[in-house]
Amino acid sequence: MAVTVTGAERRIGAASRPAALVRRRAGAYLFLLPALAYLAATMLYPIYSNVRMSVHDVTVTTFLGNSAPFTGLDNYRALFNDPAFWKAVRLSLAFTAGSLVFQFAIGFLLALLFTQPFPGSNLLRSLLLLGWLLPTIVSGSIYRWMLDGDYGVINYALRSLGLIDEPRYWLIDVKTALAGTILANIWVGIPFNMLLLLAGLQQISPTLYEAASIDGANAWRRFWSITLPLMRPVSLSVVLLGLIYTFKVFDLIYIMTGGGPVDATTVLPIYTYQLTFQFFLFGKGAAAATVLLIALLGVAVGYLWFSRREEVIS
Amino acid sequence: MTHLSELRRQGYGKTVLAVLVVAVYLFPVYWMATTSLKSPPDIFASPPQLVPSHPTLSAYRAAIVDNPTVLRSLRNSAIIALGTTALTLLLAAPAAYALARIRPRGSGLVTLLLLIGQLLPGIVVAGPLFVLFSRINLINSFPALILADVTVTLPFAVIILRPFFLSVPRELEAASMVDGSTRFGAFWRIVLPLIRPGLITVAALSFLIAWGEFIFALSLNINERVMPITVAVNKFVGQYGTEWDKMMAVATTAAIPIVAVFVALQRFIVGGLTSGATKE
Repeated sequence: MAVTVTGAERRIGAASRPAALVRRRAGAYLFLLPALAYLAATMLYPIYSNVRMSVHDVTVTTFLGNSAPFTGLDNYRALFNDPAFWKAVRLSLAFTAGSLVFQFAIGFLLALLFTQPFPGSNLLRSLLLLGWLLPTIVSGSIYRWMLDGDYGVINYALRSLGLIDEPRYWLIDVKTALAGTILANIWVGIPFNMLLLLAGLQQISPTLYEAASIDGANAWRRFWSITLPLMRPVSLSVVLLGLIYTFKVFDLIYIMTGGGPVDATTVLPIYTYQLTFQFFLFGKGAAAATVLLIALLGVAVGYLWFSRREEVIS
Repeated sequence: MTHLSELRRQGYGKTVLAVLVVAVYLFPVYWMATTSLKSPPDIFASPPQLVPSHPTLSAYRAAIVDNPTVLRSLRNSAIIALGTTALTLLLAAPAAYALARIRPRGSGLVTLLLLIGQLLPGIVVAGPLFVLFSRINLINSFPALILADVTVTLPFAVIILRPFFLSVPRELEAASMVDGSTRFGAFWRIVLPLIRPGLITVAALSFLIAWGEFIFALSLNINERVMPITVAVNKFVGQYGTEWDKMMAVATTAAIPIVAVFVALQRFIVGGLTSGATKE
């Protein structure tokens, strides 16, 4: 069709095409409508509402109406001047980094094990997923018990191995509480990392390894020169996805420590929750939520940009 | 293992290693279950008892059977999880079908929306939903929690289902529509039955997610008649403190439906997790 079609011509063109095709198009969009409307109401509206609340002085007396006064960036100013906010940011970064490094490393090792064929491989691999599928509230409760200072099994094991002399009160001690929550989160995240990295390993053609073997490369050399370089794109995706999922962890930490002792585990999502639902500072809470959202969007944009670039290359 | 033949060492050596790995990994789950079966003196025994010497169900009796709050919270979780599953399927199946048929026009934007949906932290959604539900008087109700949970399940459900619809040849619907069926009729009678594995995957994962959901249940509801098991477990932390047999009995009970769904539908879940978490 010509580039310069007028509206009338286009209508004629459409009518002369099989009418069913047009109906089919419109019909397909109708199928999409309920989900789109739903996402708009429960996703886009909350995002809009967060940004809106973050520039208004919304409190417990004003959150139901529209009477909250506009205060510009005051909430953000209050947030950035709050040392507790910066502490929450630091704790979030430490929690995320600590979790990701070990989840990824252990997940990678397990993926290397399960990519090889052996009897019972599928069943055993599936069993591992249980740790990830359990409600985090359950996993958190288990780790609270295992990290208990008086009767926890972890203290018992460490003392038997001679690694500690006295029982540690892991989750009650300001110095170790974050490490305790990281330990639990590593456990939860290992299967996710293993599963995605395994999918990546299985994409590598076996002929590459065969050829390298024939050329005399040993197992270590094959891993170093074939597996690692070819796993780089998948690894980066896994790390970025893990970053997004770990940075927003709330329930695991909440059940284990409630953000304490004092504020030793008050990561950004818990800090945001406290502002909104414990201090009823809706405006400042919304500002914190917006900052959290922008940080995650930044990571997501990086992820999309990266995966698109990989697609172009491959 | 030097006395085994090369072949057997290769095969079973790895199996033994994998069994060990899985046993170490799942030890916390085992520890939860056995603690729930111990009597208080056995819990505090040193060295810890790997196998309960006097297994008892008394913790379950005290913390669950004789505890109407927990019993009701289990029922509430079932209502919320099943409601979430139904609503997710209802919204996601047509949407994923449309995305499989109208691409690429318009589908890019929707895919972006879905990705944002997947990364939204619960707390970002919870605050505004609290305000919204308070205004329309929906706060502290089952619909509030179900509507909130679907914000989590819907994006990944559409992403998982779309490749299933892509694998159904268009000719099947075309033939049915030539025979006088409407598009919806073709979708309902021809396409949906063909993608049943995808629907089962999405249903199972929606159920698992909604059963374990915590932040919405914590922030959008203070009504004990609606409270799900996850919030009940959290309340126990304050109530039972260090009565670990009871804590673990409640935790085990909360885990049982998850384990049951996992065992029954494992094949669908594993496949779905891989395809949903990566690009298809």
